[in-house]
Amino acid sequence: MNAALSIEALKLYRAPAARVATAVLVLVLPAVSAAMVAVARSDSDSPLVAKARPMLIGTGWDAYLGMLAEIVSVATLLAVGIVLSWVVGREFTEGTVGALLALPTSPRQVLRAKLVVTLIWALGCGLVATLVAIPGGLAIGLGAPDAGALRATGRLLVVSGLMTLLALPLAWVSTVLRGYLSGISTLLGIVVITQIVTAAGAGGWFPYAAPSLWAGMGGADAAAAITPVQLLLAVPVGLAGAWAAMHRWQTAELV
Amino acid sequence: MSAAVVAGGGRTEPVVRLATSGVARSFGTEQALAGVDLDLHAGEVHALVGLNGAGKTTLMRLALGMLHPDAGTVRVDVGDGPVDPVGAPSATWGHVGHLIETPFTYPELTVRETVRSAARLRGLDRTAADAATTRVLAELALDHWAERRARTLSLGNRQRVGLACAVVHDPKVLVLDEPSNALDPAGVVRVRRWLADAADRGAAVLVSSHHLDEMARVAHRITVLHRGRVLGTLDPAGADLERQFFDMVYEEEDAVDGAPAPAHTTTPTSPRSAA
Repeated sequence: MNAALSIEALKLYRAPAARVATAVLVLVLPAVSAAMVAVARSDSDSPLVAKARPMLIGTGWDAYLGMLAEIVSVATLLAVGIVLSWVVGREFTEGTVGALLALPTSPRQVLRAKLVVTLIWALGCGLVATLVAIPGGLAIGLGAPDAGALRATGRLLVVSGLMTLLALPLAWVSTVLRGYLSGISTLLGIVVITQIVTAAGAGGWFPYAAPSLWAGMGGADAAAAITPVQLLLAVPVGLAGAWAAMHRWQTAELV
Repeated sequence: MSAAVVAGGGRTEPVVRLATSGVARSFGTEQALAGVDLDLHAGEVHALVGLNGAGKTTLMRLALGMLHPDAGTVRVDVGDGPVDPVGAPSATWGHVGHLIETPFTYPELTVRETVRSAARLRGLDRTAADAATTRVLAELALDHWAERRARTLSLGNRQRVGLACAVVHDPKVLVLDEPSNALDPAGVVRVRRWLADAADRGAAVLVSSHHLDEMARVAHRITVLHRGRVLGTLDPAGADLERQFFDMVYEEEDAVDGAPAPAHTTTPTSPRSAA
Protein backbone atom coordinates (compact mmCIF):
# COMPACT_ATOMS: atom_id res chain seq x y z
CA MET A 1 0.00 0.00 0.00
CA ASN A 2 1.43 3.40 -0.88
CA ALA A 3 2.02 6.12 1.68
CA ALA A 4 -1.06 8.24 1.04
CA LEU A 5 -3.36 5.22 1.08
CA SER A 6 -1.99 3.85 4.34
CA ILE A 7 -2.17 7.24 6.05
CA GLU A 8 -5.71 7.95 4.89
CA ALA A 9 -6.73 4.44 5.93
CA LEU A 10 -5.33 5.04 9.42
CA LYS A 11 -7.11 8.40 9.68
CA LEU A 12 -10.41 6.86 8.64
CA TYR A 13 -9.96 3.88 10.95
CA ARG A 14 -9.48 6.22 13.91
CA ALA A 15 -12.30 8.59 12.98
CA PRO A 16 -15.31 8.46 15.33
CA ALA A 17 -17.62 9.53 12.51
CA ALA A 18 -16.57 6.53 10.42
CA ARG A 19 -17.00 4.16 13.35
CA VAL A 20 -20.53 5.35 14.04
CA ALA A 21 -21.41 5.18 10.34
CA THR A 22 -19.98 1.66 10.16
CA ALA A 23 -22.09 0.50 13.09
CA VAL A 24 -25.20 1.99 11.52
CA LEU A 25 -24.58 0.45 8.10
CA VAL A 26 -23.56 -3.05 9.15
CA LEU A 27 -25.55 -3.58 12.34
CA VAL A 28 -28.45 -1.17 12.71
CA LEU A 29 -29.79 -1.45 9.17
CA PRO A 30 -30.02 -5.28 9.07
CA ALA A 31 -31.51 -5.24 12.57
CA VAL A 32 -34.15 -2.67 11.63
CA SER A 33 -35.02 -4.55 8.45
CA ALA A 34 -35.33 -7.84 10.29
CA ALA A 35 -37.50 -6.21 12.94
CA MET A 36 -39.82 -4.67 10.35
CA VAL A 37 -40.19 -7.92 8.44
CA ALA A 38 -40.82 -9.80 11.67
CA VAL A 39 -43.53 -7.30 12.54
CA ALA A 40 -45.11 -7.50 9.09
CA ARG A 41 -45.13 -11.32 9.21
CA SER A 42 -46.78 -11.43 12.60
CA ASP A 43 -50.43 -12.38 13.00
CA SER A 44 -51.19 -9.23 14.92
CA ASP A 45 -53.60 -6.66 13.48
CA SER A 46 -51.96 -3.74 15.23
CA PRO A 47 -51.50 -0.39 13.39
CA LEU A 48 -47.74 -1.02 13.21
CA VAL A 49 -48.29 -4.28 11.36
CA ALA A 50 -50.77 -2.60 9.02
CA LYS A 51 -48.14 -0.01 8.13
CA ALA A 52 -45.26 -2.47 7.78
CA ARG A 53 -46.95 -4.94 5.41
CA PRO A 54 -47.35 -2.59 2.41
CA MET A 55 -43.65 -1.79 2.59
CA LEU A 56 -42.70 -5.33 1.64
CA ILE A 57 -42.42 -6.45 -1.94
CA GLY A 58 -42.60 -10.20 -2.41
CA THR A 59 -42.25 -12.71 0.36
CA GLY A 60 -39.60 -14.41 2.46
CA TRP A 61 -35.95 -13.59 1.82
CA ASP A 62 -36.82 -11.49 -1.24
CA ALA A 63 -39.04 -9.22 0.84
CA TYR A 64 -36.55 -9.04 3.70
CA LEU A 65 -33.50 -8.23 1.62
CA GLY A 66 -35.60 -5.90 -0.54
CA MET A 67 -36.57 -3.97 2.57
CA LEU A 68 -32.91 -3.83 3.57
CA ALA A 69 -31.98 -2.56 0.08
CA GLU A 70 -34.53 0.26 0.39
CA ILE A 71 -33.09 1.39 3.70
CA VAL A 72 -29.52 0.89 2.51
CA SER A 73 -30.16 3.10 -0.53
CA VAL A 74 -30.88 6.11 1.64
CA ALA A 75 -28.56 5.31 4.55
CA THR A 76 -25.56 4.62 2.32
CA LEU A 77 -25.82 7.98 0.57
CA LEU A 78 -26.16 9.74 3.92
CA ALA A 79 -23.41 7.81 5.72
CA VAL A 80 -20.88 7.80 2.88
CA GLY A 81 -21.72 11.39 2.00
CA ILE A 82 -21.09 12.57 5.55
CA VAL A 83 -17.90 10.55 5.95
CA LEU A 84 -16.49 11.57 2.57
CA SER A 85 -17.33 15.23 3.18
CA TRP A 86 -15.44 15.00 6.44
CA VAL A 87 -12.50 13.07 5.00
CA VAL A 88 -11.96 15.74 2.35
CA GLY A 89 -13.39 18.85 3.98
CA ARG A 90 -11.59 18.46 7.30
CA GLU A 91 -8.30 19.42 5.66
CA PHE A 92 -9.80 22.82 4.92
CA THR A 93 -11.79 23.17 8.16
CA GLU A 94 -8.77 22.22 10.30
CA GLY A 95 -6.33 24.13 8.11
CA THR A 96 -4.10 21.14 7.38
CA VAL A 97 -4.47 21.28 3.61
CA GLY A 98 -1.36 23.47 3.29
CA ALA A 99 0.70 20.76 4.99
CA LEU A 100 -0.40 18.34 2.24
CA LEU A 101 1.02 20.53 -0.52
CA ALA A 102 4.59 20.88 -1.81
CA LEU A 103 5.28 17.21 -1.08
CA PRO A 104 6.63 14.39 -3.24
CA THR A 105 3.15 12.92 -2.85
CA SER A 106 1.05 15.13 -5.10
CA PRO A 107 -2.27 16.67 -4.02
CA ARG A 108 -4.00 14.52 -6.65
CA GLN A 109 -2.52 11.38 -5.05
CA VAL A 110 -3.65 12.50 -1.61
CA LEU A 111 -7.21 13.12 -2.81
CA ARG A 112 -7.25 9.87 -4.77
CA ALA A 113 -6.19 8.03 -1.60
CA LYS A 114 -9.06 9.66 0.29
CA LEU A 115 -11.54 8.56 -2.38
CA VAL A 116 -10.17 5.02 -2.63
CA VAL A 117 -10.12 4.49 1.12
CA THR A 118 -13.66 5.80 1.49
CA LEU A 119 -14.87 3.67 -1.43
CA ILE A 120 -13.32 0.51 0.00
CA TRP A 121 -14.80 1.25 3.41
CA ALA A 122 -18.27 1.94 2.00
CA LEU A 123 -18.33 -1.11 -0.29
CA GLY A 124 -17.03 -3.22 2.59
CA CYS A 125 -19.88 -1.95 4.78
CA GLY A 126 -22.39 -2.94 2.09
CA LEU A 127 -20.89 -6.42 1.88
CA VAL A 128 -20.75 -6.91 5.64
CA ALA A 129 -24.32 -5.63 6.03
CA THR A 130 -25.39 -8.30 3.54
CA LEU A 131 -23.55 -10.98 5.48
CA VAL A 132 -24.99 -9.76 8.77
CA ALA A 133 -28.45 -9.88 7.23
CA ILE A 134 -28.25 -13.67 6.77
CA PRO A 135 -28.34 -14.61 10.46
CA GLY A 136 -30.95 -11.86 10.86
CA GLY A 137 -33.19 -13.60 8.33
CA LEU A 138 -32.65 -16.95 9.95
CA ALA A 139 -33.46 -15.45 13.34
CA ILE A 140 -36.87 -14.19 12.19
CA GLY A 141 -37.73 -17.59 10.76
CA LEU A 142 -37.26 -17.14 7.02
CA GLY A 143 -35.63 -20.56 6.73
CA ALA A 144 -32.72 -21.41 4.48
CA PRO A 145 -31.92 -18.75 1.85
CA ASP A 146 -33.51 -19.57 -1.52
CA ALA A 147 -33.00 -18.44 -5.11
CA GLY A 148 -34.90 -15.23 -4.35
CA ALA A 149 -32.39 -14.49 -1.62
CA LEU A 150 -29.52 -14.66 -4.08
CA ARG A 151 -31.27 -12.28 -6.50
CA ALA A 152 -32.14 -9.89 -3.67
CA THR A 153 -28.57 -10.01 -2.37
CA GLY A 154 -27.26 -8.97 -5.77
CA ARG A 155 -29.73 -6.08 -5.87
CA LEU A 156 -28.71 -5.02 -2.38
CA LEU A 157 -25.02 -4.95 -3.28
CA VAL A 158 -25.68 -3.06 -6.53
CA VAL A 159 -27.77 -0.46 -4.70
CA SER A 160 -25.06 -0.05 -2.05
CA GLY A 161 -22.39 0.38 -4.72
CA LEU A 162 -24.39 2.87 -6.78
CA MET A 163 -25.23 5.04 -3.79
CA THR A 164 -21.56 4.98 -2.78
CA LEU A 165 -20.59 6.23 -6.24
CA LEU A 166 -23.23 8.96 -6.02
CA ALA A 167 -21.58 10.32 -2.87
CA LEU A 168 -18.29 11.01 -4.70
CA PRO A 169 -19.23 14.48 -6.03
CA LEU A 170 -19.35 15.62 -2.40
CA ALA A 171 -15.55 15.45 -2.41
CA TRP A 172 -15.59 18.17 -5.04
CA VAL A 173 -18.18 20.20 -3.12
CA SER A 174 -16.18 19.97 0.12
CA THR A 175 -13.09 21.12 -1.79
CA VAL A 176 -14.67 24.03 -3.63
CA LEU A 177 -16.56 25.23 -0.55
CA ARG A 178 -13.59 24.49 1.70
CA GLY A 179 -15.06 22.48 4.54
CA TYR A 180 -17.04 19.41 5.50
CA LEU A 181 -20.15 21.24 6.64
CA SER A 182 -20.59 22.51 3.09
CA GLY A 183 -20.49 18.93 1.82
CA ILE A 184 -22.96 17.76 4.45
CA SER A 185 -25.40 20.60 3.78
CA THR A 186 -25.18 19.88 0.05
CA LEU A 187 -25.94 16.25 0.84
CA LEU A 188 -29.08 17.29 2.70
CA GLY A 189 -30.07 19.41 -0.28
CA ILE A 190 -29.62 16.40 -2.58
CA VAL A 191 -31.89 14.29 -0.35
CA VAL A 192 -34.60 16.97 -0.39
CA ILE A 193 -34.38 17.43 -4.16
CA THR A 194 -34.52 13.66 -4.63
CA GLN A 195 -37.77 13.55 -2.67
CA ILE A 196 -39.26 16.36 -4.75
CA VAL A 197 -38.18 14.88 -8.08
CA THR A 198 -39.47 11.45 -7.07
CA ALA A 199 -42.80 12.88 -5.94
CA ALA A 200 -43.05 14.67 -9.29
CA GLY A 201 -42.69 11.31 -11.05
CA ALA A 202 -39.31 11.96 -12.69
CA GLY A 203 -37.23 9.93 -10.26
CA GLY A 204 -36.22 7.28 -12.76
CA TRP A 205 -34.01 9.72 -14.64
CA PHE A 206 -32.66 11.38 -11.51
CA PRO A 207 -29.47 9.47 -10.61
CA TYR A 208 -29.92 9.93 -6.86
CA ALA A 209 -33.48 8.51 -6.98
CA ALA A 210 -33.16 5.62 -9.43
CA PRO A 211 -31.40 3.12 -7.13
CA SER A 212 -33.93 3.68 -4.34
CA LEU A 213 -36.85 3.25 -6.72
CA TRP A 214 -35.26 0.09 -8.13
CA ALA A 215 -34.88 -1.20 -4.57
CA GLY A 216 -38.63 -0.82 -4.11
CA MET A 217 -38.97 2.53 -2.38
CA GLY A 218 -41.77 3.56 -4.76
CA GLY A 219 -43.49 0.19 -4.87
CA ALA A 220 -43.27 -2.85 -7.13
CA ASP A 221 -44.42 -1.08 -10.32
CA ALA A 222 -41.95 1.77 -9.94
CA ALA A 223 -39.15 -0.73 -9.25
CA ALA A 224 -39.96 -2.70 -12.40
CA ALA A 225 -39.96 0.48 -14.50
CA ILE A 226 -36.34 1.37 -13.70
CA THR A 227 -34.03 0.54 -16.60
CA PRO A 228 -30.34 -0.40 -16.44
CA VAL A 229 -29.46 2.87 -18.19
CA GLN A 230 -31.23 4.86 -15.49
CA LEU A 231 -29.38 2.93 -12.79
CA LEU A 232 -26.02 3.30 -14.47
CA LEU A 233 -26.30 7.08 -14.59
CA ALA A 234 -24.76 6.87 -11.13
CA VAL A 235 -21.47 5.77 -12.68
CA PRO A 236 -20.76 8.90 -14.78
CA VAL A 237 -22.05 11.14 -11.99
CA GLY A 238 -19.71 9.52 -9.47
CA LEU A 239 -16.72 9.40 -11.77
CA ALA A 240 -17.24 12.99 -12.89
CA GLY A 241 -17.36 14.11 -9.27
CA ALA A 242 -14.19 12.22 -8.42
CA TRP A 243 -12.37 13.55 -11.48
CA ALA A 244 -13.43 17.13 -10.75
CA ALA A 245 -12.24 16.85 -7.16
CA MET A 246 -8.86 15.38 -8.16
CA HIS A 247 -8.41 18.01 -10.87
CA ARG A 248 -9.12 20.79 -8.40
CA TRP A 249 -6.71 19.40 -5.82
CA GLN A 250 -3.98 19.26 -8.42
CA THR A 251 -4.49 22.62 -10.11
CA ALA A 252 -6.24 25.06 -7.77
CA GLU A 253 -4.77 27.19 -5.02
CA LEU A 254 -6.03 25.24 -2.03
CA VAL A 255 -4.64 27.52 0.70
CA MET B 1 28.48 29.05 7.44
CA SER B 2 26.92 29.33 3.97
CA ALA B 3 27.71 26.67 1.41
CA ALA B 4 29.41 28.09 -1.66
CA VAL B 5 30.76 27.11 -5.03
CA VAL B 6 34.01 28.34 -6.55
CA ALA B 7 33.35 30.72 -9.43
CA GLY B 8 35.71 32.07 -12.05
CA GLY B 9 38.79 33.78 -10.69
CA GLY B 10 38.70 31.77 -7.52
CA ARG B 11 35.74 33.74 -6.15
CA THR B 12 33.25 31.74 -4.13
CA GLU B 13 29.56 32.23 -4.81
CA PRO B 14 26.75 31.01 -2.61
CA VAL B 15 24.58 28.13 -3.77
CA VAL B 16 21.16 29.67 -4.37
CA ARG B 17 18.40 27.33 -3.28
CA LEU B 18 15.46 29.69 -3.66
CA ALA B 19 15.09 32.90 -5.61
CA THR B 20 12.20 35.24 -6.26
CA SER B 21 12.34 38.03 -8.80
CA GLY B 22 9.77 40.79 -9.01
CA VAL B 23 7.13 38.57 -7.44
CA ALA B 24 3.74 40.20 -7.09
CA ARG B 25 0.48 38.82 -5.85
CA SER B 26 -2.90 40.35 -5.07
CA PHE B 27 -6.00 39.00 -3.40
CA GLY B 28 -8.88 40.94 -4.87
CA THR B 29 -8.00 44.60 -4.43
CA GLU B 30 -5.47 43.83 -1.71
CA GLN B 31 -1.89 43.87 -2.96
CA ALA B 32 -0.13 41.31 -0.80
CA LEU B 33 3.22 41.40 -2.59
CA ALA B 34 4.43 44.12 -4.92
CA GLY B 35 7.59 42.98 -6.66
CA VAL B 36 9.73 41.09 -4.18
CA ASP B 37 13.30 40.03 -4.93
CA LEU B 38 14.74 37.57 -2.48
CA ASP B 39 17.22 34.76 -2.44
CA LEU B 40 18.09 31.99 -0.06
CA HIS B 41 21.47 30.31 0.06
CA ALA B 42 22.51 26.85 1.09
CA GLY B 43 23.89 26.84 4.60
CA GLU B 44 22.17 29.99 5.80
CA VAL B 45 19.20 31.00 7.88
CA HIS B 46 17.49 33.87 6.12
CA ALA B 47 14.92 35.59 8.30
CA LEU B 48 11.89 37.46 7.02
CA VAL B 49 10.59 39.99 9.50
CA GLY B 50 7.60 42.24 9.20
CA LEU B 51 4.40 43.30 10.83
CA ASN B 52 1.19 41.32 10.48
CA GLY B 53 -0.01 41.52 6.90
CA ALA B 54 3.44 42.40 5.55
CA GLY B 55 3.27 39.52 3.06
CA LYS B 56 5.60 37.01 4.73
CA THR B 57 3.23 34.05 4.58
CA THR B 58 2.15 34.87 1.03
CA LEU B 59 5.79 35.01 -0.08
CA MET B 60 6.46 31.64 1.53
CA ARG B 61 3.42 30.07 -0.10
CA LEU B 62 4.55 31.42 -3.46
CA ALA B 63 8.00 29.96 -2.84
CA LEU B 64 6.37 26.58 -2.28
CA GLY B 65 4.07 26.74 -5.30
CA MET B 66 0.97 26.80 -3.12
CA LEU B 67 0.05 30.15 -4.66
CA HIS B 68 0.72 31.36 -8.18
CA PRO B 69 2.34 34.77 -8.70
CA ASP B 70 0.53 37.46 -10.67
CA ALA B 71 3.92 38.65 -11.90
CA GLY B 72 7.57 37.78 -11.46
CA THR B 73 9.27 34.43 -11.08
CA VAL B 74 10.05 31.98 -8.33
CA ARG B 75 12.70 29.30 -8.67
CA VAL B 76 13.66 26.47 -6.36
CA ASP B 77 16.92 24.58 -6.83
CA VAL B 78 17.63 21.50 -4.75
CA GLY B 79 20.63 20.57 -6.85
CA ASP B 80 19.01 19.59 -10.12
CA GLY B 81 18.77 23.10 -11.52
CA PRO B 82 16.21 25.82 -10.82
CA VAL B 83 12.56 24.92 -11.33
CA ASP B 84 9.27 26.75 -11.01
CA PRO B 85 7.64 25.49 -7.80
CA VAL B 86 4.25 25.48 -9.53
CA GLY B 87 4.26 22.05 -11.10
CA ALA B 88 7.73 21.16 -9.82
CA PRO B 89 8.59 17.44 -10.03
CA SER B 90 8.07 15.30 -6.96
CA ALA B 91 11.83 14.79 -6.71
CA THR B 92 12.19 18.49 -5.92
CA TRP B 93 9.72 18.34 -3.06
CA GLY B 94 11.58 15.40 -1.57
CA HIS B 95 14.27 17.91 -0.59
CA VAL B 96 11.95 20.64 0.70
CA GLY B 97 10.36 20.95 4.12
CA HIS B 98 7.81 23.49 5.24
CA LEU B 99 5.69 24.59 8.14
CA ILE B 100 3.24 27.29 7.15
CA GLU B 101 0.69 28.28 9.80
CA THR B 102 -1.21 25.05 10.64
CA PRO B 103 1.11 22.12 11.46
CA PHE B 104 0.61 18.65 9.99
CA THR B 105 -1.21 17.23 12.99
CA TYR B 106 -4.40 15.19 13.22
CA PRO B 107 -6.05 14.76 16.62
CA GLU B 108 -6.68 11.04 16.11
CA LEU B 109 -3.03 10.15 15.36
CA THR B 110 -0.24 9.76 17.87
CA VAL B 111 2.83 11.97 17.64
CA ARG B 112 4.89 9.07 16.28
CA GLU B 113 2.23 8.17 13.71
CA THR B 114 2.00 11.80 12.66
CA VAL B 115 5.72 12.25 12.10
CA ARG B 116 6.02 8.85 10.42
CA SER B 117 3.11 9.78 8.12
CA ALA B 118 4.83 13.03 7.23
CA ALA B 119 8.02 11.12 6.46
CA ARG B 120 6.16 8.67 4.21
CA LEU B 121 4.42 11.49 2.34
CA ARG B 122 7.87 13.04 1.87
CA GLY B 123 9.04 9.97 0.04
CA LEU B 124 10.76 7.88 2.71
CA ASP B 125 10.07 4.14 2.68
CA ARG B 126 8.74 2.43 5.82
CA THR B 127 12.13 1.54 7.26
CA ALA B 128 13.67 4.93 6.60
CA ALA B 129 10.55 6.68 7.90
CA ASP B 130 10.65 4.75 11.16
CA ALA B 131 14.32 5.55 11.70
CA ALA B 132 13.92 9.22 10.76
CA THR B 133 10.91 9.55 13.04
CA THR B 134 12.78 8.17 16.03
CA ARG B 135 15.73 10.46 15.31
CA VAL B 136 13.74 13.67 14.91
CA LEU B 137 11.52 12.98 17.93
CA ALA B 138 14.69 12.75 20.01
CA GLU B 139 16.25 15.84 18.46
CA LEU B 140 13.19 17.95 19.19
CA ALA B 141 12.64 16.37 22.62
CA LEU B 142 9.29 14.90 21.66
CA ASP B 143 10.00 11.31 22.81
CA HIS B 144 7.97 11.79 25.96
CA TRP B 145 4.86 12.49 23.91
CA ALA B 146 5.57 10.01 21.12
CA GLU B 147 2.67 7.69 21.87
CA ARG B 148 0.21 10.45 22.80
CA ARG B 149 -2.63 11.40 20.49
CA ALA B 150 -2.13 14.85 19.00
CA ARG B 151 -5.45 16.00 20.49
CA THR B 152 -3.91 15.83 23.96
CA LEU B 153 -0.93 18.06 23.13
CA SER B 154 -0.50 21.69 24.06
CA LEU B 155 -0.41 24.25 21.26
CA GLY B 156 3.33 24.56 21.63
CA ASN B 157 3.93 20.84 21.41
CA ARG B 158 1.68 20.59 18.35
CA GLN B 159 3.84 23.27 16.78
CA ARG B 160 6.94 21.26 17.62
CA VAL B 161 5.37 18.16 16.06
CA GLY B 162 4.68 20.24 12.96
CA LEU B 163 8.32 21.24 12.87
CA ALA B 164 9.37 17.61 13.27
CA CYS B 165 7.18 16.74 10.28
CA ALA B 166 8.76 19.51 8.22
CA VAL B 167 12.32 18.38 8.89
CA VAL B 168 11.99 14.60 9.25
CA HIS B 169 13.41 13.94 5.75
CA ASP B 170 16.45 16.17 6.33
CA PRO B 171 15.55 18.66 3.57
CA LYS B 172 17.92 20.92 1.68
CA VAL B 173 15.40 23.76 1.72
CA LEU B 174 13.31 24.63 4.74
CA VAL B 175 10.52 27.21 4.72
CA LEU B 176 9.19 27.93 8.19
CA ASP B 177 6.52 30.46 9.01
CA GLU B 178 6.92 31.56 12.62
CA PRO B 179 8.15 28.15 13.81
CA SER B 180 8.52 29.25 17.41
CA ASN B 181 4.87 30.24 17.72
CA ALA B 182 3.40 29.14 21.05
CA LEU B 183 6.67 27.51 22.16
CA ASP B 184 7.90 27.95 25.70
CA PRO B 185 11.37 29.51 26.19
CA ALA B 186 13.03 26.09 26.30
CA GLY B 187 11.27 25.12 23.09
CA VAL B 188 12.35 28.35 21.41
CA VAL B 189 15.97 27.69 22.31
CA ARG B 190 15.74 24.08 21.15
CA VAL B 191 14.26 25.06 17.78
CA ARG B 192 16.80 27.84 17.38
CA ARG B 193 19.65 25.41 17.96
CA TRP B 194 18.11 22.94 15.57
CA LEU B 195 17.85 25.57 12.83
CA ALA B 196 21.46 26.61 13.35
CA ASP B 197 22.58 22.98 13.16
CA ALA B 198 20.53 22.43 10.01
CA ALA B 199 22.18 25.42 8.36
CA ASP B 200 25.59 24.12 9.44
CA ARG B 201 24.74 20.86 7.69
CA GLY B 202 24.07 22.85 4.52
CA ALA B 203 20.32 23.39 4.63
CA ALA B 204 18.88 26.64 3.34
CA VAL B 205 16.38 27.94 5.88
CA LEU B 206 13.85 30.69 5.20
CA VAL B 207 12.15 31.60 8.43
CA SER B 208 9.67 34.30 9.32
CA SER B 209 9.08 35.82 12.69
CA HIS B 210 7.88 38.87 14.54
CA HIS B 211 10.61 38.44 17.09
CA LEU B 212 13.71 40.38 16.11
CA ASP B 213 15.75 39.28 19.10
CA GLU B 214 15.12 35.65 18.27
CA MET B 215 16.04 36.18 14.62
CA ALA B 216 19.17 38.06 15.60
CA ARG B 217 20.36 34.97 17.43
CA VAL B 218 19.84 32.52 14.59
CA ALA B 219 19.77 34.34 11.25
CA HIS B 220 22.65 35.03 8.89
CA ARG B 221 20.55 37.62 7.07
CA ILE B 222 17.39 39.50 8.00
CA THR B 223 15.11 40.94 5.33
CA VAL B 224 12.42 43.44 6.29
CA LEU B 225 9.12 43.08 4.48
CA HIS B 226 6.41 45.73 4.73
CA ARG B 227 3.23 46.24 2.73
CA GLY B 228 4.36 43.56 0.31
CA ARG B 229 7.73 45.15 -0.44
CA VAL B 230 11.28 44.53 0.71
CA LEU B 231 12.39 47.60 2.64
CA GLY B 232 15.95 46.45 3.21
CA THR B 233 18.06 44.19 5.34
CA LEU B 234 19.20 44.25 8.94
CA ASP B 235 22.54 43.05 10.17
CA PRO B 236 21.82 40.34 12.77
CA ALA B 237 24.91 41.48 14.67
CA GLY B 238 23.83 45.11 14.61
CA ALA B 239 22.77 47.08 17.65
CA ASP B 240 19.15 47.83 18.54
CA LEU B 241 17.55 45.90 15.72
CA GLU B 242 14.09 46.83 16.88
CA ARG B 243 14.76 50.55 16.45
CA GLN B 244 16.35 49.94 13.04
CA PHE B 245 13.33 47.89 12.03
CA PHE B 246 10.79 50.50 13.06
CA ASP B 247 12.85 53.32 11.53
CA MET B 248 12.65 51.43 8.23
CA VAL B 249 8.95 50.83 8.56
CA TYR B 250 8.11 54.44 9.52
CA GLU B 251 10.27 55.83 6.77
CA GLU B 252 8.24 53.75 4.33
CA GLU B 253 4.98 54.83 5.94
CA ASP B 254 5.99 58.48 5.65
CA ALA B 255 6.94 57.95 2.03
CA VAL B 256 3.50 56.55 1.21
CA ASP B 257 1.74 59.86 0.89
CA GLY B 258 -1.56 59.80 2.70
CA ALA B 259 -1.48 56.09 3.32
CA PRO B 260 -2.88 55.26 6.73
CA ALA B 261 -0.50 53.44 9.01
CA PRO B 262 -1.52 49.87 9.86
CA ALA B 263 -3.42 49.71 13.14
CA HIS B 264 -0.68 47.74 14.88
CA THR B 265 1.89 50.53 14.35
CA THR B 266 -0.18 52.95 16.39
CA THR B 267 -0.46 50.79 19.47
CA PRO B 268 0.89 52.17 22.75
CA THR B 269 3.89 49.82 22.42
CA SER B 270 5.01 51.48 19.21
CA PRO B 271 8.61 52.62 19.56
CA ARG B 272 7.65 55.89 17.87
CA SER B 273 5.32 56.69 20.72
CA ALA B 274 7.68 55.26 23.28
CA ALA B 275 10.73 57.12 22.01
